[in-house]
Amino acid sequence: MRTILNKKLTFWLLLSLPAFLLVLGWWQGRIDSMDMLHPTGEWSARLMIIAMALSPLVSLLGAKPWLNWLVARRRAFGVAAFGYALLHLIFYLIDMGNLDDILAEWMAPGIWTGWAAFGLMLPLALTSNDRSMRWLKAGWKKLQQLVYPAAILTLLHWIWVHNSYAGALVHFVPLGLLVLARFLKKPLSQMKPLGV
Amino acid sequence: MRKLIPLAIAAAAIAVLPSAPASATGAIKCKPTPQSSWKTQEVLKAKLVKEGWIVRKSKVDGGCYEVYGTTPEGDRVEAYFHPVTLEKLYVARRGEVLFRKQGY
Repeated sequence: MRTILNKKLTFWLLLSLPAFLLVLGWWQGRIDSMDMLHPTGEWSARLMIIAMALSPLVSLLGAKPWLNWLVARRRAFGVAAFGYALLHLIFYLIDMGNLDDILAEWMAPGIWTGWAAFGLMLPLALTSNDRSMRWLKAGWKKLQQLVYPAAILTLLHWIWVHNSYAGALVHFVPLGLLVLARFLKKPLSQMKPLGV
Repeated sequence: MRKLIPLAIAAAAIAVLPSAPASATGAIKCKPTPQSSWKTQEVLKAKLVKEGWIVRKSKVDGGCYEVYGTTPEGDRVEAYFHPVTLEKLYVARRGEVLFRKQGY
């Protein structure tokens, strides 16, 4: 049982469960294309936030078995975040239904930020494999740091498209605090030899 | 001190979470009016279609009628109307406010 639960495939299936249920609801006509946009976008943001929160958590809490378990699956979180963003985009295209309407609103603050966030997530997802890591060497890590501007664009997209802060901040403030805490912690740990 | 930082962060994160309103729906609110004085959503839809709108979905939100659709100008919007007068109160395209009646 435990080995099945710990299989990577099990984890992928778990991450795709919300997508499966949403698409099923849409297929059966219970959910409008329009109403697929918010949940797919929210899942994408959540998974992105989890993927990004892991390394600040490790640096703040040290190595913990549960954290290691999650860190071993960080790539899955990141790729799944992209998968949900792709689903989000597909349903946006289905809902809009024609190119004219899409072009007419691309410059709205809530829309171009979404396109830009997706544009940044695309190379991250495409290089989330061992071959790309070997091929890009040190450049891989640099490339993956695009996730920070992607997260900021995602946050702005969420705030602007809804014209409200609540939902977006509930999700992003914890991540912001973790990233901040890691920055604050660095100089403190360097000071440690001076104390005691 | 080093142990305090993650604790403070965790406490702050927990404090922030419930402070956000659970249901942040409704871009605007209409003063409560008796439902018996409301015109139906069908009447509103017919009026809008006549004016050149494409209505894709409508519902009650914040005591107003909320409509998702396309304006005669071709903008894909979310719009609010007064349920009694059917007056246009608020129009937003993807969160960008295009029109807002004074006082709303």
